[in-house]
Amino acid sequence: MSLLRSMAVGLRSLFRKERISQELDEELNGFLEMAAEEKIKQGMSRNEALRSVRLERGSLEVTKEVVRAASWESFVERCWQDLRFAVRLLRKDPGFVAVALLTLALGIGANTAIFSVVQGVVLSPLPYREPDRLVMVWLNNHSLKSITQLSYADFVDWQRSSRSFEKIAAYAWRGFDLSSPGTPEHLPGREISANFFAMLGVELAQGREFSSEEDRNGGAPVVIISNSLWRDRFGRTAMGKSIVLDGVEATIIGVLPPGFRFDTDDADIYTPIGQRRLVEQNDRTVHNVVCVARLKAGVSLGQAEAEMNTVQETIDRLHPDMEEGLGAKLTPVKEQLVGDVRGTLLLLLGAVGVVLLIACANVANLLLVRTAARTREFSIRSALGAGRGRIVWQLLTESVLLSVLGGGLGVVAAKWGLNAAMAAVASTLPRSENVRVNVSVLLFAFGISIAVGILFGLAPALKSSRVDLQTSLKEGARGSTTGHPRAQSSLMVIQIALTVVLLAGAGLLFRTIQQLWKADLGFDAHNIITFQVGLSPSATGNGACVRTAFQQMIERIRQIPGVQSADLSTLVPMSHQINALPFWVDSHRPASVAEAPRTLAFITGPDFQRVMGIPLVRGRFLSEQDTINAPLVAVIDTELARTYFPDTDPIGHTISFAQVSGYRIIGVVGHVQHGELGFSSPFTDAQSYVSIYQIMDRWMTTIDTWTWVAVRTPLEASTILPEIRKAVYGAASDQPIYNVHTIKQIVSESMSSQRFPMIMLGTFAGLALLLASIGIYGVISYSVSQRVHEIGIRMALGADKRDVFRMVVGQGLALALAGLAIGVVGALILTRLLSSFSLLLYGVGASDPLTFTTVSVMLSLVAALACYIPARRAMRVDPIVALRYE
Amino acid sequence: MADKPSDVVQGTLDMLILKTLALEPMHGYGIAVRLEQMSKGVFRLNAGSLFVAFQRLQRDGLIKSEWKATENSRRAKYYVLTDQGRKRLNSETREWGRQVAAIARILEAS
Repeated sequence: MSLLRSMAVGLRSLFRKERISQELDEELNGFLEMAAEEKIKQGMSRNEALRSVRLERGSLEVTKEVVRAASWESFVERCWQDLRFAVRLLRKDPGFVAVALLTLALGIGANTAIFSVVQGVVLSPLPYREPDRLVMVWLNNHSLKSITQLSYADFVDWQRSSRSFEKIAAYAWRGFDLSSPGTPEHLPGREISANFFAMLGVELAQGREFSSEEDRNGGAPVVIISNSLWRDRFGRTAMGKSIVLDGVEATIIGVLPPGFRFDTDDADIYTPIGQRRLVEQNDRTVHNVVCVARLKAGVSLGQAEAEMNTVQETIDRLHPDMEEGLGAKLTPVKEQLVGDVRGTLLLLLGAVGVVLLIACANVANLLLVRTAARTREFSIRSALGAGRGRIVWQLLTESVLLSVLGGGLGVVAAKWGLNAAMAAVASTLPRSENVRVNVSVLLFAFGISIAVGILFGLAPALKSSRVDLQTSLKEGARGSTTGHPRAQSSLMVIQIALTVVLLAGAGLLFRTIQQLWKADLGFDAHNIITFQVGLSPSATGNGACVRTAFQQMIERIRQIPGVQSADLSTLVPMSHQINALPFWVDSHRPASVAEAPRTLAFITGPDFQRVMGIPLVRGRFLSEQDTINAPLVAVIDTELARTYFPDTDPIGHTISFAQVSGYRIIGVVGHVQHGELGFSSPFTDAQSYVSIYQIMDRWMTTIDTWTWVAVRTPLEASTILPEIRKAVYGAASDQPIYNVHTIKQIVSESMSSQRFPMIMLGTFAGLALLLASIGIYGVISYSVSQRVHEIGIRMALGADKRDVFRMVVGQGLALALAGLAIGVVGALILTRLLSSFSLLLYGVGASDPLTFTTVSVMLSLVAALACYIPARRAMRVDPIVALRYE
Repeated sequence: MADKPSDVVQGTLDMLILKTLALEPMHGYGIAVRLEQMSKGVFRLNAGSLFVAFQRLQRDGLIKSEWKATENSRRAKYYVLTDQGRKRLNSETREWGRQVAAIARILEAS
């Protein structure tokens, strides 16, 4: 209440300043007059009385000042005054303001941009109801020391037995070939269980989700579609309409809200997982289902995990030959979705913070120069009675004004830069759709602007408020300070050191990418195009049909002029798809399939090894004679041979997979790199090849959705693709071609986890280098301008122009080298830390000498260049002019 | 030392002003003189602290002011105690009594 009143009175007096001041005047005058009258009555003269009252009670002016200063509105008024003064001063120096604002805008803008990424991806909650209770439930394979997806049969068991979850749901990736309505197209999709959206707490835009009656074998064919499909293909009226997917007609019963996305990939089609193909439903060795659940209120992740482990132990006992050795593992959904990039983003936030520090150092340097030139002004003000705090306050007002203006520009720059950056990395950054400049980002930008203003303003403010009146007023006529600009020099050293750290980080990542490109992939990645074909539904009726359709399609593609070779494979090396099968050699079947090692199984045509350029080491590769009627044969890679046949020739032995056993090994080929470059896993180390034409009928009818065509051709993809399309459509016009990539693209994509931070860190390092060189230039040219007199004397006494040049450049380089030394030590420590907790570096040591040498040379060159211009100016100093200044 | 006028004990000036005004509305100088007289010259008030206190009390709604003519037919601002001010004076007086008694007990004990 009284606070409100005080505000009201304060505001009133702000706007009626004149009247309030008059009133106070009159009242105080009266007070002093009355006191004086008293004294006159006692016999003093009027003048004596007035003087005595002033002494006893205080003078009119001082009292008025005291009373006015006691109210808060006078504080506001003083700030306003300072602000107006600051604006006036800054307007007088547009050059300084431009450089300072540009520097600050770059620094704050870069920070704002990175913060908005961190905020959108890591900090902001997932767009589901109470997202903290959402978990993913995995199988924990103890013998592989790895978590895996589960089989649909496992999920059904879990759903029946678990008690810790409010709702439990599952989904699996699946592509669909849409053939009606409209033109045939392949669409990404998911198979989901009933309750999937209820579990997430997402409301459908139209219709409903699957009921448990629909989510089972033989249920009515129903489908839920994405908002974009509803909008673009169905013209916003889709409910109840039919859609033909993989040759099966289904009814649309629901439309998702716009922008819905659960993991990183988009999906347009959702079908009930209970209606999936029988082979995938019952086989406990097919692990392609992801389980997501909502914890009951009050149940912790640890409790739920313990319960799920008990549940899984029961399943293990029921199916000892399949599941023995499996447990359960829970991870929070958010950690699963953003876990990998979290470290990278925080690293970038740190790096961009360093850029901001460098920017601060730059502006602080500029301010030091400015305040040095204003020493006289401060001397006069303090001689007139301004307190030290008052002067510091005034200077801080100036610097905060600068930084807030710079921050405003920075936000604009951030918004602009962010749009460009997000377009470039959207596909590799989870939740990138959530990145935008919002209120919390603006608050962050405002907050760091203020903080930065105080940070770079405080040192110059404190320094200049400590003026010695005597000397500075005496010296005033010359308008300069004495001595060496020690503060400037140390700021410059810090700047260079920080720049070295950033350059070293970016350099190491650059070298990593370089090493990755040089890494041996185990095959010839040039001139290969890969794509997928949705076989016509009429061709997938039974296994024999599919085999014929594949053979005919490949033959047609091979006929195209410019195609050197072409064949099928269910896996493309270096892609992110994994088909890891449990296997054993000869008769060494483990007690439980879950405990068997895994092999990355390529199911290919006979020409695939030649298309990819994989070297044949022993025996032969698959051939056209290895048909469904011929004995089963397999080819293994050198890794599998080395690990499981260390002393014997593998040829003639057998390899068995969980689904089908007894493949005779007929050859050994080289190991190919799969997944991310430079890393290995128990799922991709041992590799094997079997013929796609020996796959059993029950699998053959589903195989086309995960089969690729690899084509070796020296022609550009864009040139050959229309020909390929013509050939494929020639066989059947309802066969869409999709997922077209060159192997080079796939390889390049596999480096995205290094490339994204490298580009960002490289940008920041470049920015830092630019700012640091401006800083060096500023310090050296200021020092030259301060020493014109001294240089003049030196030259008058016979110093060579070259000596002067050397002196100036030498001074700059000495500082640069000091910064370099500190920076290298800092970078060595930081990069070691970096490589110990993240997998960013590959093929280079944390203290890679080449990187550090290059960085040092680069920085020295830039420093020398930044000193060159002021040194040239120093060389041209005319001794006569310089000395006449006196 | 003892006979030299001293400043009012920190924080008690407001209470003393309220007490002075409890008898009748008064102008600034009147308040100053009354306080000095009642304290038998122990307190000497300068205009600065007095007027800052008036401003503060007024903003808190404990006193009001109006311009009136003095007995010497001079225009002066008279301060009047509000109801809220009277309540505050009572509570502060009680509190002051409690504290003084407590301090006295402590000083006697040692």
